[in-house]
Amino acid sequence: MQDPNSIPDPALTSDADPGGVPDMRRPGEAVFDAVILVASLALLWSAYDISGFEALSAPGTVPMMTTLVMVITAGLVLYRSIRLPIDGRETVKHDILPFYVIVLTLLLVGYAVLLVPLGFLPTSALFLILAIKLLWQRSWLVTFGVSAFALVLIYLVFRIVFTVLMPTGIVPEAEMIQWIRNLLSGGQA
Amino acid sequence: MDALLNFFMVFTHPQLLLLVGLGTFAGVYIGAIPGLSVTMAVSILISFTFSWDVLPALALMIGIFMGGVYGGSRTAILLNIPGAPSAIATALDGYPMAQRGEAGTAIGITTVMSFFGGFVGIAALAIAAPFVSGVALAFQPRDYMLLALLGILLVGSLSGGSLVKGIFAGAFGIALGAVGMDPLTFTERFTFGVPLLQSGISFVAVMIGMFGVSEALAQLHHIDTPAIKQKITRIVPSFGTIKKYLPLSLQTSSIGVFIGALPGTGGDIAALMAYDYAKRVTRKPARPFGQGAIEGLVAPETANNAAVGGAFIPMMTLGIPGDAVTAIMIGALFIHGLNPGPMLMIDRPEMFWFIVGALVVANVFMLIFGLTGIRLFTKIVEMPRAVLVPLIMLLSIVGAYAVNNSVTDVYWMLGFGVLGYFMRLYGYPLGPVILGLILSRLFDDNWRRAIISENENLGAFFHGIFTSPLSMVLFLAVIWIFVSQTPLVPMIKSRLFARTGTDGASK
Repeated sequence: MQDPNSIPDPALTSDADPGGVPDMRRPGEAVFDAVILVASLALLWSAYDISGFEALSAPGTVPMMTTLVMVITAGLVLYRSIRLPIDGRETVKHDILPFYVIVLTLLLVGYAVLLVPLGFLPTSALFLILAIKLLWQRSWLVTFGVSAFALVLIYLVFRIVFTVLMPTGIVPEAEMIQWIRNLLSGGQA
Repeated sequence: MDALLNFFMVFTHPQLLLLVGLGTFAGVYIGAIPGLSVTMAVSILISFTFSWDVLPALALMIGIFMGGVYGGSRTAILLNIPGAPSAIATALDGYPMAQRGEAGTAIGITTVMSFFGGFVGIAALAIAAPFVSGVALAFQPRDYMLLALLGILLVGSLSGGSLVKGIFAGAFGIALGAVGMDPLTFTERFTFGVPLLQSGISFVAVMIGMFGVSEALAQLHHIDTPAIKQKITRIVPSFGTIKKYLPLSLQTSSIGVFIGALPGTGGDIAALMAYDYAKRVTRKPARPFGQGAIEGLVAPETANNAAVGGAFIPMMTLGIPGDAVTAIMIGALFIHGLNPGPMLMIDRPEMFWFIVGALVVANVFMLIFGLTGIRLFTKIVEMPRAVLVPLIMLLSIVGAYAVNNSVTDVYWMLGFGVLGYFMRLYGYPLGPVILGLILSRLFDDNWRRAIISENENLGAFFHGIFTSPLSMVLFLAVIWIFVSQTPLVPMIKSRLFARTGTDGASK
């Protein structure tokens, strides 16, 4: 996503998105590249463990080839990025991990943890209300209204139309759906 | 005759017709809303249509695909924010037009030209695919392996940015696809002794994470950017205008089909190349390019919609996706028990003709929705990101959960979402990861088949490559990408010259 006031010329922007400029290292970039390299090495070791150099058609050959490529390319990327000057205008706090990104990631993890015990409807309501309140900063009434509207819409579309099964948790969902079905087929029944 | 019957199936089944229409409608808006991408929408939809019959599911996804490629142009014109990568070139002349108050004209021409390009692409698909799949039957396993490699490399090298990072991403995707039990020998691969990993990582979870959550997290950087309002007047272009640009649009559509049909290249590359082409062949544009030339709108928009039909050619006949979106479409076909490749055209020709029919319908719907409903459109595009982002996240979670009814997939999805976020920030392309993941099986199986048929002899394997014209061409193409895209050649040159230079200085 580009800044609305700039002409998006792919040749002028760096391939990082959002932010970043060519020929400059972003904060934390070398660390990320190093982590990628170490992870690639671990995967290469694990690939070697599959079948070693048993045969060219062995199950471990392609994993070894690909992880070797990963190690080489990750090494090249790290080598290149540590030689670039660091971009002093960017900070981790502002450009890499802004407050909102951290909080929303935590909210997402919280959602995943609560989904099964609490059920889809209460967890989603909680998530939407907190996230929209935090990002939009409108009154609680507006936040509640928008969240409820969105949740009802999502629920109707996905639970009824797409028949996606979500954990019910503490909500007596089966009865609710029966009620809606009765309502919809009221005339025909 | 059967082909014709299957082709018209979409037209005669109101339910399928409705789904294509619904999909196209959703696609136009999803493509247009900055922050929502077709890739994201299709990957989330796969999980929701998982339990459906294959025809309705395909009808919906084809609609979204077709509408989404077009929808990206809307925001490119109105806000100078390409809603999709294939609309980057559209913004170059579309936004200057909007600034002059000609947004309506720009949108009208874009819509009609997208429709035109779309038809050229579909026609090419209908004519070329049966032929290509006939040829594809003669492909050796090594050819499939090389094609898969070529596709991943092309996505990595052309998606903008560093080829090294692209290759890393592709290799990472292939490795991810290998996680779990090896289907041939039942050896565990990359399971680290964890029983959970034996069945592999759900590719839907990876896709939603990489294109849904990571995109949503990246959007948080722009949460405070206000929506820009635009007034739009007359949309439907006059017949004279269309006639004037018809020759150019035919040429750029052909470029679109060709680029789309190459494995690994899709609408974004096609649009940029067509834009470049139009710039070179247009002698006297009414306005210079970059300042609102209509040719600069016609070229990319015909090309990127023509590329849709083009991209379906390798996807349907070889099982090799053209770009990230087609990779996800292949994933969708897999999930519904279809195996894209030359055998699909022989075993299930009805499927192919159904898809062609659905594409035609989607193209028509695109024209209708493109020229109407502009007021609703401006309302939806102005939807605040602060509401949109939590909604995308919620849908991502529901989608990841829905495929296997498992919370584990949700954790995978979140993990890959965070990884994808950092990969975005540090310039690693995500397309090759998905392409590698989808093509992992095909690559691995065909490599092993090829090498077993040569009795494990690497020399004989290369001898086979060098003596078959097709393998040779594919092999040379792979080599060419390396040579042309890596700084290896200039690096060696500069080293050599630097040495002679210093030698000269020391003497």
